[in-house]
Amino acid sequence: MRVSQQAKASTRKRILDSARVLFVREGFEHATTRHIAREARIAAGTLFNYFPTKEAIAAALVGEALDAAQEDFERRRRRCSLEEDLFAQVAAGLRRLKPFRRFLRPVLQSTPHPAGVADNEAAAIRGEQMERVRRLLAEHGIEPESPLTLQLYWTLYVGVLGFWTADRSPKQEDTLALLDQSLAMFAAWLRETARPESQRSHN
Amino acid sequence: MANVADLLHAVPTDADEPGLAGETRLRELFARLSLRPVPTGTWRRFWRLGGLHAQIGLAYTMHWLRGWFQGAERKQRDLAATRLNAAFRLLETMGYLRGAIMKVGQTLANFPDFLPEEFVATLERLHFLAPPMHFALVREFLHNELGGDPEDVFASFETEAFAAASLGQVHRARLKTGELVAVKVQYPGIARTIRADVRGLVTLLWPLRLSRDWDSVKARIEYIHRTLELETDYRNEARLQERVRSLFREDDGIVVPRVFQEYSTHRVLTMEYLAGRHVHDYLAAGPTQDKRNRFAAKLVRSWYRLFYAARLHHPDFHPGNFIFMDDGRLGLIDFGCVLELEDEDWELMGKSDRPLTTGRRDERLAFLKEWLDLPSDAPEDDRLSLCDRYAEACWKPRTAAGEFDFGDEQEFRRAFDLFIEMLRKRYTRGRPLDAFISRWDFGSRSMLYRLQARVDVRAIAEQEIAATGWDRSDYATLSN
Ligand SMILES: Nc1ncnc2c1ncn2[C@@H]1O[C@H](COP(=O)(O)OP(=O)(O)O)[C@@H](O)[C@H]1O
Repeated sequence: MRVSQQAKASTRKRILDSARVLFVREGFEHATTRHIAREARIAAGTLFNYFPTKEAIAAALVGEALDAAQEDFERRRRRCSLEEDLFAQVAAGLRRLKPFRRFLRPVLQSTPHPAGVADNEAAAIRGEQMERVRRLLAEHGIEPESPLTLQLYWTLYVGVLGFWTADRSPKQEDTLALLDQSLAMFAAWLRETARPESQRSHN
Repeated sequence: MANVADLLHAVPTDADEPGLAGETRLRELFARLSLRPVPTGTWRRFWRLGGLHAQIGLAYTMHWLRGWFQGAERKQRDLAATRLNAAFRLLETMGYLRGAIMKVGQTLANFPDFLPEEFVATLERLHFLAPPMHFALVREFLHNELGGDPEDVFASFETEAFAAASLGQVHRARLKTGELVAVKVQYPGIARTIRADVRGLVTLLWPLRLSRDWDSVKARIEYIHRTLELETDYRNEARLQERVRSLFREDDGIVVPRVFQEYSTHRVLTMEYLAGRHVHDYLAAGPTQDKRNRFAAKLVRSWYRLFYAARLHHPDFHPGNFIFMDDGRLGLIDFGCVLELEDEDWELMGKSDRPLTTGRRDERLAFLKEWLDLPSDAPEDDRLSLCDRYAEACWKPRTAAGEFDFGDEQEFRRAFDLFIEMLRKRYTRGRPLDAFISRWDFGSRSMLYRLQARVDVRAIAEQEIAATGWDRSDYATLSN
């Protein structure tokens, strides 16, 4: 029997809803795919048609959260400096990702390497996020001439998220400082490298 | 705040990392960056800037390079190197977290005998700044601290800060109940960083341990640590502010802003906004002598009120802490570093009252011997004699009968020169309180000098001292 697109989408949603609940309730480590399938009222085998691994489910949840965060960000956006714009974008993500903070690490581990052969969900997140940043930079008049720029951004981004997952400071205040300083560094670096070679200061 | 070990740990790494050709050079560069000295004289030898930004840079760059160098062509590697150099140069110019270090430097300036030659310069720049925060950062921080976005928590919130504070910045806002408020926000994590830095100070100063100053140095560092612990906590500041507020009545014409506890935390202080100007702008408008005298009298009264009625000492008498309000009232702010005198110090202060009141030299010498822990029959050596001249100059506004002219440049210079001489001869080592008192002396004297004010200090002090309940019945007979 062929499964309609609609039915597929609804099953996928059921899986994600169940996983969201279970990850938060039981913790990422303890929630098994079997468990998630049962909660979603589907066969374990069916689940694998949608997501090859538990990490892929987590990645999909993260992807959804980041989509929602992007909307938050766009809604609240105001004219501001590049640093602030970049910061607001990541900060919106942190807010949406908050419920998943503890199981973000395994997802991150599968995404960071630029040439990584990560699974599709994780790769999609990375592609999506880098595209958003590319657009943001373009709006500030910065057209990165090389893919290095976005890779550096991605490294900073993943570094901050990784730090955040383990941040034990009160209300994760250290993450805010780290994010602020990292993005200030990135923005300053962009401005420096965006200038023509002849104007750069040489050592 | 985050350190490099945490960060390296957090940055996800690849399973197998081949050695990296540029790695050693990179490490060297970053090491150089993070060893940049703090610009505070003597401390240069002992203190190295933790270089958080440099460390972050290192962590990220290494990670980035590892990925990149793996498959890159030579040409691309060169390109990467060019960009790296650009990054390094930028890192060198960035002052992030300087504020934290500076705040400690600022506190060290309270102990001027550490860095005599630097003292005058340090006096000039007692105010250092935390990195500025853009609104997106302020919003996240307030969201975490107050449980909601500033746009929602307040009726309105100005996105641009209107003033800088040593640990952060101040925003104007309006509460939903209508009050105009000043919201002082700390840079995230800065308080913990400062405390950690100071905790490490004793270790960094270890090379000094054989010097004759060691015990005093150590005691002072511990003192700084305790003080900073309180100073960086806005809850403590709020508590002191409320206490000071309760000391003034409407007809004093002195205002301390009310604290809004529901909108305050350890890191956020929300208080009534006081509209007015700082001394510089106030003077620019050319106020009359009479108006200046009246403000000056309030300045003097405010200090004595805190001291006599509450045993509080406000050492930070600098222009940023006073608001000259348009209606003639004087606004007092910033109680983070107000000291609560301990019994022992208070007792000693009580003993200074007598020489202060009589103005007699023998009384003053007797008091100074006690202050300096000298026996009462100690001969009058150079140190004692210099301390006496200094005390005489400092106390003059109080011992002089009638109006004292703070605009008298010669008087101002005399006290200052004597103090410098004491520093040079290293006669100032003693209680930590000494330094705070000196700082107050010069803070208040400079303010009043700028105002070119004439104030009957004695009359004010005599009114305020009643609150102490001290028995002063025999002073009259001692007066000369
Ligand atoms: N309640 C207030 N009303 C008006 N201005 C204020 C108020 N509180 C602070 N400010 C402004 O902010 C500046 C810094 O505040 P302050 O409390 O002195 O900071 P710090 O923590 O550095 O001591 C002040 O000099 C003043 O200009």
